[in-house]
Amino acid sequence: MNLYEFEGKQLFEKYGIAVPRGCVVRRGDDAAHAYQELDVKDVVVKSQVLSGKRGKNNGIKFCSSADEVARVAAELFDSPIRGQYVAAVRIEEKLEIAKEHYVSIIYDTRTKQPVLVYSARGGMDIEDVPESEIQKYALDVRQEKIGLDIPYAEELWRCFLQEDARLVEINPLVQTVDGRYVAADAKIAIDEDAGFRHKEWTFEPRTLMGRLPTEREEMVKAIDAGEAYYRGTAGKYIEMDGDIAILFSGGGASIANMDALIKAGLKPANYTEYSGNPPREKVHALAKIVLSKPGLKGLWICGGVANFTNIEETFHGIVDALDEIKPTYPIVVRRAGPYEAEGMELMRACAERNNLRIKLFGKEESMSDTARVLVEMVKN
Amino acid sequence: MSILIDHNTKVLIQGMTGKEGAKAATAMLEYGTKVVCGVTPGKGGQEVEGKPIFNSLKEAFVRFPDITTSAIYVPPFAAKAAVLEAIENNIPTINVIVERIPIRDTAYFLAAAREKNIRVIGPSSLGYIAPGIGRIGVVGGPLVQEIFQPGSIGVISRSGGMTNELSWQIRKAGMGQSAAVHVGGDLLMGTTYGDLLKLFQEDAQTKAVVIFGEHGGWYEFEVVEMIKNKQFTKPLAVYVGGKFAHLFPEGMTVGHAGAIVGRGQSAEEKSRTLADVGVMVAERYEDLVTLIQPFA
Repeated sequence: MNLYEFEGKQLFEKYGIAVPRGCVVRRGDDAAHAYQELDVKDVVVKSQVLSGKRGKNNGIKFCSSADEVARVAAELFDSPIRGQYVAAVRIEEKLEIAKEHYVSIIYDTRTKQPVLVYSARGGMDIEDVPESEIQKYALDVRQEKIGLDIPYAEELWRCFLQEDARLVEINPLVQTVDGRYVAADAKIAIDEDAGFRHKEWTFEPRTLMGRLPTEREEMVKAIDAGEAYYRGTAGKYIEMDGDIAILFSGGGASIANMDALIKAGLKPANYTEYSGNPPREKVHALAKIVLSKPGLKGLWICGGVANFTNIEETFHGIVDALDEIKPTYPIVVRRAGPYEAEGMELMRACAERNNLRIKLFGKEESMSDTARVLVEMVKN
Repeated sequence: MSILIDHNTKVLIQGMTGKEGAKAATAMLEYGTKVVCGVTPGKGGQEVEGKPIFNSLKEAFVRFPDITTSAIYVPPFAAKAAVLEAIENNIPTINVIVERIPIRDTAYFLAAAREKNIRVIGPSSLGYIAPGIGRIGVVGGPLVQEIFQPGSIGVISRSGGMTNELSWQIRKAGMGQSAAVHVGGDLLMGTTYGDLLKLFQEDAQTKAVVIFGEHGGWYEFEVVEMIKNKQFTKPLAVYVGGKFAHLFPEGMTVGHAGAIVGRGQSAEEKSRTLADVGVMVAERYEDLVTLIQPFA
């Protein structure tokens, strides 16, 4: 999960990394008042969005009066950055910059360890800095200290480890004219799988989709919450613009099937995947939410030949939802694995009592081929 | 011949008294794999499937000094300690089925394993199978005899379901598998496509290999380097899933934990780079079978 800059800066302060003096203004708050309280004349007013490129996209403004701050803040709230929703605005002291550096720590899938990336040239995308001006240091999560002569390297490392971050980045790391180092920006992504040891993680809802999370997305997320979070997951749901509801099983099959669906010319209403043998209740909750989206024209329930997911149990959950909603649009099912005969029988009986337009396929038909079956059914 | 598993493979299951651990024990024994014992702290003296449970690996080794493989079936918050215990006891091969392990924990035990030259398959790996010889984990499930038969195709997959699905497509087309390995869908992969290609290269039974890959991560590029360096010379067909991922913004995870939308790591970019070094690239996963068939 990506953090907003202001959340990242709170964490930086906890680890002794200096950040500019500032405050956070929410939608509807009095920005002018916040500016006066801050008591700094020259400030930077910055959009709080989940991904970068704010500078190039008018998300960062310089102001010197309360009126100006109020006007600029209002503008920023109305100007999404590359489709990203502006959750807040941060007002902070303008730094007297002598130099801008870059420093980050991220997992490297090649070494399977974190790597520290440093460049004396900061302030721009690291991808745009020539390779010759970038220094990379392979780290080891078992190390406590990294012993590099790079400003804030140790502090950033402690933050990375203790906060279970996937990424920490300071860009730019400003060297001020009076010689201090200050993190002018903060980019942190945390590893949600470490949530069990971070009870303090109570971040506000967010999505990278350039809007607030929808009610359905929030509801699905709650399905996997709690103690049994790792026992069969059914908590993935991303709402999309199309009209074909998706109930995929398996992370890999779901990806292959999204490709197949789009290739077949259909438009997904959502991306959804359950896996790891979730219980009937979890799948029921998920299916009910997926089918509650208005304007659906079809439903594709598709998965590969399962290893250990119980088809009868999971289909029970889907059938519960179909019984309640009784969709009139066409449905295609393709699935195989443990208890497949029992699962398919449940579907057949459900179709009969609810008069569903449904076609059922087992492993003899390939997954992509059943996408084309759905295309035909939706057309007619 | 086969990779990763042979008739001398002796398996210990950490967490065998749990629901999934016990299921895995049954699945392995039914397929003829020698599961010798299990370990669950505090449950020493019990039995699962007639096999003894010990409190620690140390105790298990007193009775079974020739264990070759540990399969890890514990909750994610206990995974790091379990894998480290297996490493401390020098078990040469460790299969980690556990999903949702924090990345920092995975990085920790992978670093410890590497120092001792121990192979970790996973995390989030349902296991692997050498048809007719044995299986680690539940790959194939109850349909294992319908899906797998000994043959010449090596199967590698980022996805557990697709390991099965792909193996089934291969079987349906009249071919068999030399081994099928689910490498797991996490950001950090203990055993990579490249590591397995080295084994398949040496394996006389394997004539060709198929890979089910995904957007995100560097692992497909490792394959490209190996082909350039002639470390892998057998026919190879790859499908990289996630062409739709451009519908989502950079940084978003769509699919497995490792399937992150990122610059330079899209399904198209990976497919193109693989095709450039002569890999057969499948448009749909089903096409892998057609592409590989002439070489079986």
